Amino acid sequence: MSQFASQSQSTFQPLELVYNQPASGLDEVFDANGQIKPHWEKLLNSLQALGAEAFQSRVIKAQRILRDDGATYNIYSNRESPSHTWGLDLVPSLISSEEWSNIEAGLLERAELFNLMLKDLYSSRDLIRLGVIPPEALFCHRGFLRACHGIQVPGDHELILHAVDLMRGDDGSMCVLTDRTQSPSGAGYALENRTVMSRVLPSLYRDSQVHRLAGFFQQLRTKLTSLSPSEDQPRVVVLTPGAHNETYFEHAYFANYLGFHLVQSGDLVVRNGYVWMKSLDGLSRVDVILRRVDDWFCDPLELRSDSQLGVASLLDVVRAGRVVIANPLGSGILENPIFLKYLPQISKELLGRELRLPSVTNYWCGDPEDLAYVMANIQSLVIKPIYRAQGYVSVCGSELDEESLSQLKERIHRSPMHYVAQPILQSGQLPSYDSVQGLVPRPSILRSFAVAGTNSYAVMPGGLTRVGVEETSFMISNQQGSQSKDTWIISSEPVMGEAVTEVDETASPVRDADLISLPSRVVENLFWMGRYAERAESSLRILRTVFMMLNGEELISDNCKRLLLETATEVTATHPGFMNASDELINSPEQELLRIVEDSDCGGSVRSNLNAMLYCADESKELLSSDTLRVINDIRDALSELDSDLSGGLASAPEEALDPLVTALMALSGLAHESMVRDLGWRFMSMGRRLERAVQTTTIIKSLVVPEVSEADQSILLQSMLLSVEALISYRRRYRARMGVQSTLDLVMMDTSNPRSLLHQLEELNRHIKTLPRVSESRHELSPEERAALEAETLVKMSLLSDLSSRENGQRQLLHNALTTVSKALANISELVSDKYFDHRETSQQLVTSIWENG
Amino acid sequence: MRYRIKHVTEYLYSDRVTHCYNLAHMIPRNCVRQSCLKSQIRVNPFTTHTTRREDYFGNQAYHFEIQRPHKKLIITATSEVETDSQHAAVNLDLGVTCSEARELLAKSSLSDALFAKEFLLDSSMINANDALREYAAPSFDDNRPLLSAVMELTQRIYREFTYSPEATTVATPLMEVLENKKGVCQDFAHLQIGCLRSLGFPAKYVSGYLETVPPPGKEKMVGADASHAWISIFSPSEGWFEFDPTNDCLATEQHIITAWGRDFFDVTPLKGVIYGGGEEPAMNVSVDVKNLTA
Repeated sequence: MSQFASQSQSTFQPLELVYNQPASGLDEVFDANGQIKPHWEKLLNSLQALGAEAFQSRVIKAQRILRDDGATYNIYSNRESPSHTWGLDLVPSLISSEEWSNIEAGLLERAELFNLMLKDLYSSRDLIRLGVIPPEALFCHRGFLRACHGIQVPGDHELILHAVDLMRGDDGSMCVLTDRTQSPSGAGYALENRTVMSRVLPSLYRDSQVHRLAGFFQQLRTKLTSLSPSEDQPRVVVLTPGAHNETYFEHAYFANYLGFHLVQSGDLVVRNGYVWMKSLDGLSRVDVILRRVDDWFCDPLELRSDSQLGVASLLDVVRAGRVVIANPLGSGILENPIFLKYLPQISKELLGRELRLPSVTNYWCGDPEDLAYVMANIQSLVIKPIYRAQGYVSVCGSELDEESLSQLKERIHRSPMHYVAQPILQSGQLPSYDSVQGLVPRPSILRSFAVAGTNSYAVMPGGLTRVGVEETSFMISNQQGSQSKDTWIISSEPVMGEAVTEVDETASPVRDADLISLPSRVVENLFWMGRYAERAESSLRILRTVFMMLNGEELISDNCKRLLLETATEVTATHPGFMNASDELINSPEQELLRIVEDSDCGGSVRSNLNAMLYCADESKELLSSDTLRVINDIRDALSELDSDLSGGLASAPEEALDPLVTALMALSGLAHESMVRDLGWRFMSMGRRLERAVQTTTIIKSLVVPEVSEADQSILLQSMLLSVEALISYRRRYRARMGVQSTLDLVMMDTSNPRSLLHQLEELNRHIKTLPRVSESRHELSPEERAALEAETLVKMSLLSDLSSRENGQRQLLHNALTTVSKALANISELVSDKYFDHRETSQQLVTSIWENG
Repeated sequence: MRYRIKHVTEYLYSDRVTHCYNLAHMIPRNCVRQSCLKSQIRVNPFTTHTTRREDYFGNQAYHFEIQRPHKKLIITATSEVETDSQHAAVNLDLGVTCSEARELLAKSSLSDALFAKEFLLDSSMINANDALREYAAPSFDDNRPLLSAVMELTQRIYREFTYSPEATTVATPLMEVLENKKGVCQDFAHLQIGCLRSLGFPAKYVSGYLETVPPPGKEKMVGADASHAWISIFSPSEGWFEFDPTNDCLATEQHIITAWGRDFFDVTPLKGVIYGGGEEPAMNVSVDVKNLTA
């Protein structure tokens, strides 16, 4: 953001938002005579009228919204910070509705054809029997999953979602580059783009007569629900590989928008011939799975055996028709580019006519004539492996030097069947916004989406447009950092509400059971998110206190210093640290203190706790409000700025570097308290917080009050404790006197009007534990975790301050004993709760180890 | 011939298995020269769910799930089959030559030839290569009848390779077998398939049993039999022919077929995903083939 600001300030000449016809290449805006096409005129005029400065402020606003929505695209190669905010260029791509109706008809026809192909390839394989495609074209492709032979999906369509990448061909008409039939990504990003556009450019959007997208998603929802084999209200889940997948944002977004549960493989299990979701109240049956995991990974029993993303024995349930997966397992075979070569013949055979939407010319090296052509013209072709997988990339012949070219030829010769080649296309150019140059031409590609309906497919009016990074970009992919655009189908007449609203009136309310049947994994993550947030906060507070005390105006004794530093080690559990440390270390503690703050390799450090908390937040993202996500982003920011804030070491007011983090964590807990619905998710998060705060408070009291010290030291230690639990001001107001052990313990341990007192945590913990779902109500005896919580609470309640402050053998023995019992009870509660409510999957292994599958 | 086969597989785990899903290929399939009359699979401990189906290759696949914790798994597959010999009388010295076979295969639009091409391509455990082709080539003169050439290759493998159960495991790569010239029936079958595919002839892997006849005057020992493997090659316009490189012969009535596929991986007798179980389970297999005709 700051980058943009400085640029616009340093430019004196105001930037004009004007798009000039590029010198060369096919352009979307201009017709053959160099005239601006009518449907572009309005947009370009509006942009010019708006001006660069105003547009730039919309850009910043859009970036903020995208970030707050958590819209990210994870780039594999970037390990340090894998998650990038989704790039949206605010200049939309426009297509007139006249042209679109042609494209749409072509896409519908293509979806029907691919559906028929899918049916044929996994049943009678007439396409081979009748000689339409050579047998090798199917059998050599890894996407042909023999285990999926014979699977049937209810309804007319096997292929539920079909996505296509389109580009302008040389003659200006649209042509298909590739088909996506596994678990096509992008539809959710298209919706997010649209949402952002309508917010940051509301009047432009409203006046442009743009076709709406909601109908497409409603159809998807209806279709998925209709696939359910069960008589009951269907349970549909979205299966994601996990938070580290490149398009995880979209998985969570989809699940939320459609109202389905987002699950990972570990949340599902096969039992007695059905698929179940593991939730707090036991197992709930799953009827339909919208998968975002590639088919090959979905069942370690019959498909890829080393897969951690699948559900063992899933295929057996699918074959029995007791769960339906969209797209069906095995549908990846349709992405086989060899089929493109034979598509005209396949279409004649299956549809009885040729396709109106052409595909890019494809040469298959498994065909001798094509192979000869490819070898002779390799420098003007793009060479593609026939399946998509990591490590298999397309290469552009013209970009290779002599040596790599001959290596490529050698590879093709070794297994010609596994390569196809396509001519290099010049894609149509679109005006794109650049903060320095204004509107510049960029090559573009459009991904369109079709979803099966009752009788026919429906195409999303628009899609996800992506533009190249440079004017001459050859590859346009999100992995390469391309930007995206909203795609507007411009109607010549105003677009009516389309009879489809965002709210699906026909949908019946979610059954009650669904409210509590969150996947156990999500609940576990919320519990730990609460614990880690609290742990990080306690650590920050004690560190802040230590910094202030060490640098304070009051001179403190060596013993006092030692005890304070030891407390820092105890609270952060970064042993050995300052425990029994040499005088040398105690006198120059900077290095170790810095380590406790920012060393991510040091378990217990502030940074590692916050990283763990952020991980838990990612894993339960779909349950967090957008406000919460915004605060999470603030924590991420504060964390990444910690290094530079602390770069000067601990010389001057280092506690200030920690303040932004404390503030953000406070905001997080405030949000959880004020705006989270009191459901089970919230309850577990709060339990995590209470439990952790109780543990930390116990530790601090133990480290600072149990040891017997001189009266002067005592005063400093008590003051430090009050400071670190945010009670110093209350104490001073209440007692206006010097520090007394009993009154301090009263405030920090027993006073339930202090929201940070130990007893308050224990009472809250008891309250939460009582309301957890339980198996049987018939007996009245307490559950083990209830007993443990009650024991801790009672012990504190029954204690006498005079006992607690009494001294024996150089320490406050009774206080020590009481605190030890409480911490044991707390550890016990954590263990009991996680044993009972969280999923503890044993690791699985294969009976027969196979090493051949990838060969 | 009519046989009763009892195939017992026992797994002993070093640690408790709490849950498992398994897929077995242990029930004999039906084909032109064989029909399976009866079959039954018993699993101990009890299964909670089972399915039986015909798989992609037409083999019998049996799925089961066990939810009861166990340290020992016993699967007993019992079946009765009626077998016949291959094509009434195979005359190896007549029929299509090697070069004719290649030509027919390339041109044929008959569906059996088209679908046979699936068995020409590389599979999980078998990759065609120059070394295999060079090893086999001397037997495959262009003008020699294909089946006679295959018989010679069968003989050569039988003579030049040593049967040695200690030499290999299921995971031994094909090239190592070719180099060391040692292995068991599974290795020899893979080797021969690799040779044939490298030369351009479709071949598949056949798993099953072989009736063993005790020496004259001696009682046959129960469980002395074992599961066996051999190959089948496609000759265009003639069909599929089974050869047994471990025993230097065409497959006979005594060759009882369980399943076929591109290689062992497609017909693994028992696959599974287990939870728990510790390391390296011990496995015992006993097979008993009883001739009911005699």
